[in-house]
Amino acid sequence: MIKDLAVMIAGRAGDGVLFTGNVLARLLKRHGWEIVTSRDFPSNIRGEATCYTVRASLDKIYGQGDRVNILLAFDCEAILAHLPEMAENGIVFCDGQGVAAPSPEQARGKTFHRLFLRTLAREQFGQEIYKNVIALGALSYVLDLDPLLLDGIISEMFLKRKGEEVVHKNIQAARSGYEKAREITAEKERHPLTRRPDENRILISGDEAIGFGALAAGCRYFAAYPICPASEIWQWLVHYLADFGGAVVQTEDELASLNMALGASFAGARAMTSTSGPGASLMMEAFSLAGMAEIPVVIAHVQRLGPSTGMPTKTQQGDVLQWIFGSHGEFPRIVLAPGTVGECFDLTVGAFNLAEKYQCPVIILTELDMGQDYRTSRAFDFSQVRIDRGKLLTPEVLQNIPDFKRYAITDDGISPRALPSWKNGVHLVESLEHDEKGYRDEDPLNRRRMMEKRMRKLDPAAADLFPPKTWGCQKAEVGFIGFGSTLGAILEAVDELRAKNIASRFLQLRTLWPFPAAEVREFLAESRELFVVEHNFTGELATLIRSQVSPCSEIKSILNYSTRPFTPRDIVEPVLRSRR
Amino acid sequence: MKNKEFYHRLDPTWCKGCGLFGVFDALKRAAAALAIEPEDLVIVTGIGCHGRLNNYFQGYGFHGLHGRAMPVAAGIKLVNPRLQVVAVSGDGDAYSIGLGHFIHTLRKNVGLTYVVVDNRLFALTQGQASPTTDFGMVTLSTPFGSKDFPIDGPSLALAAGGTFIARGFSGEVAQLASLIEQGMRHDGFALIDILSPCVTHNKVNTYDWYRKHISHVEDLPGYSPRDKARAWEVLTHPEKIAVGLIYEEAKPSFESLVLPDREKPIASLDLEVDGPRLRKIMDGFR
Repeated sequence: MIKDLAVMIAGRAGDGVLFTGNVLARLLKRHGWEIVTSRDFPSNIRGEATCYTVRASLDKIYGQGDRVNILLAFDCEAILAHLPEMAENGIVFCDGQGVAAPSPEQARGKTFHRLFLRTLAREQFGQEIYKNVIALGALSYVLDLDPLLLDGIISEMFLKRKGEEVVHKNIQAARSGYEKAREITAEKERHPLTRRPDENRILISGDEAIGFGALAAGCRYFAAYPICPASEIWQWLVHYLADFGGAVVQTEDELASLNMALGASFAGARAMTSTSGPGASLMMEAFSLAGMAEIPVVIAHVQRLGPSTGMPTKTQQGDVLQWIFGSHGEFPRIVLAPGTVGECFDLTVGAFNLAEKYQCPVIILTELDMGQDYRTSRAFDFSQVRIDRGKLLTPEVLQNIPDFKRYAITDDGISPRALPSWKNGVHLVESLEHDEKGYRDEDPLNRRRMMEKRMRKLDPAAADLFPPKTWGCQKAEVGFIGFGSTLGAILEAVDELRAKNIASRFLQLRTLWPFPAAEVREFLAESRELFVVEHNFTGELATLIRSQVSPCSEIKSILNYSTRPFTPRDIVEPVLRSRR
Repeated sequence: MKNKEFYHRLDPTWCKGCGLFGVFDALKRAAAALAIEPEDLVIVTGIGCHGRLNNYFQGYGFHGLHGRAMPVAAGIKLVNPRLQVVAVSGDGDAYSIGLGHFIHTLRKNVGLTYVVVDNRLFALTQGQASPTTDFGMVTLSTPFGSKDFPIDGPSLALAAGGTFIARGFSGEVAQLASLIEQGMRHDGFALIDILSPCVTHNKVNTYDWYRKHISHVEDLPGYSPRDKARAWEVLTHPEKIAVGLIYEEAKPSFESLVLPDREKPIASLDLEVDGPRLRKIMDGFR
């Protein structure tokens, strides 16, 4: 019985690879399987090679696998490019255009079929664009999926926008693909997937889950500048925020995005912006303002490969220390790192509460692989969403405060907040060092007291932050520490090592700052051999651990600075090597 | 109508004779003429000598970063359009480091009043050249004379689609107050560029110099601020600097276009979690 399977759609940008992959992912999800998708695409619109892998599993999965079982190639170059990734008994469908001559060694064990997708599409349906639905029909046959599931998805996609005729024609195209595959493949080549009930599950990307979390948490003002791979947060929110009484604003640059969010928050909105690499650097200036002026704000940063413009469509975790130690001056900030799409939702909801409770900027740090790829998740539970606006007063309470001080020095360092238009609350939000009322003050003693006030705000925050999560064996010699979307590969590495009689555990950090030093220290003490897994060159998390846990036992880094997310093999192999 | 001293919080400590005194007085007069309650007024400032204004003026204030007054002010206005939001900047703020924000906020026609106090150099940092410094002028940063050709805020505003473009002179407070008041009444973005002498660092562009070089558009026969071609003509006049309400047109404000309901400001929304509605949205992911 097949328990885990990966289907890759490959071609050139403009071939509809994304469309085909997205529909296939939804189809397999409706079939009851757990899904993780992955896109490898260039940062242009047309012409260059691109591929989309849908991995489906009966077990809960969070990341990519190591092997492709079925390849659907829209051109022959795609076959040559991806054969090395294919499983032994892999099956390859190609469009039949051009000639591919893989080496006999690479071709061994695999079967190759021509589907003549474009010809079929043109001859039977008048347009080449139908090739994608024909391909989906063919895959439905090979995977033994219920054809009605695909019909349903086609109808959902096209009925409202394009009408009944287009739906009908697409369903016909799907059927012809199904029949064509039946005609050309042998029964033993099929990869039949058992069907399971698809209950209370969703298929969502991390970016969408962050947008959804923001909507649920009461975010009503979103300002951003377009950037890959964070724009999907905005592009999702823009459809809903106005309905909820809010606004989405496209700004001239990221300097404006964060400053505008700060203005909006000062005026009373739960406000947010999102960005990536270069945009985050531009935001560093206003990040410090948020810290000094104690303005709640949420910044979602979907990391991409740097430095500089780098590779905008590839994933990386190279911007960790920038948010923790970055910008001018010292001020409190919170950095959260979701490892699953469910956590993208939960941590975003939490981020808005933390930002208002502690009156500081909160970063949701994720990466392209989490942000743009789709994963199945248990449906979000909105009954668990709580909105905590911290020390935000009400106009009624404010009326009875004799001498309102926006930056009142309190035991916990957090001061009451009033909004413009509220009587009796007139104050200045000040980027200069200021007194309790917000007015500039250069007195040395005031400076010390204000600095201490701000910096102690997060001292008691640990109980409100998302604690690290421990996965894997109870007792283990090998320990892994990581954060974000590397979770999937690490968990599968733990399984693979267990199969080789090596017990290992994984400490998933969900709050990177304030640093969970106590939990990490304990985990280090319990691990004989410790690996920090992260998708960057210098080992930013390892550097952070060494700086925050002292004395620190020896830690080893497993790093990946290539263009692709970690696979389990990338983690298992270094562990095995170190034990030889 | 209120007494203008109602908005006076503290006596300013700018250099004696600074043009900012005139601007401060004009702002108080404009607020008084509109009888705005201090809690309904937000003054957003940038960095420069003008930035002290928040300490002296009674009202909500936001003293942010150099050049970034525009996006902050726009964020405030959109979240609570009932507020009177006035942004104050210097020429460095508005036309140098914040030029992009200025043009884009203006083109969006956000309902702000933007008061740009132009003293033709960076005064707080001891007198370096700014984008409005005359060509050839000797400043702390240009000891051999400025090699940059100056730019003109109102001309940029006209080119970028501004809907209210005025220029005042801090030596003529009554007219300046009237321009600011009209700008506050304007539904959309109002630029009030102010010729404002720096008595400490700019020994060229003095009160007397300005009096000799300005011409009031209302004195021009048949001048109408609705005539764009004429506005362009007076702005590009080589010898005289046009002062007064130079151009005005009606265009929908940004907030009227993007906010679902201006009577229900984002600032006062009830944020309760609407489970059934959210679940319906989630069904799209099934």
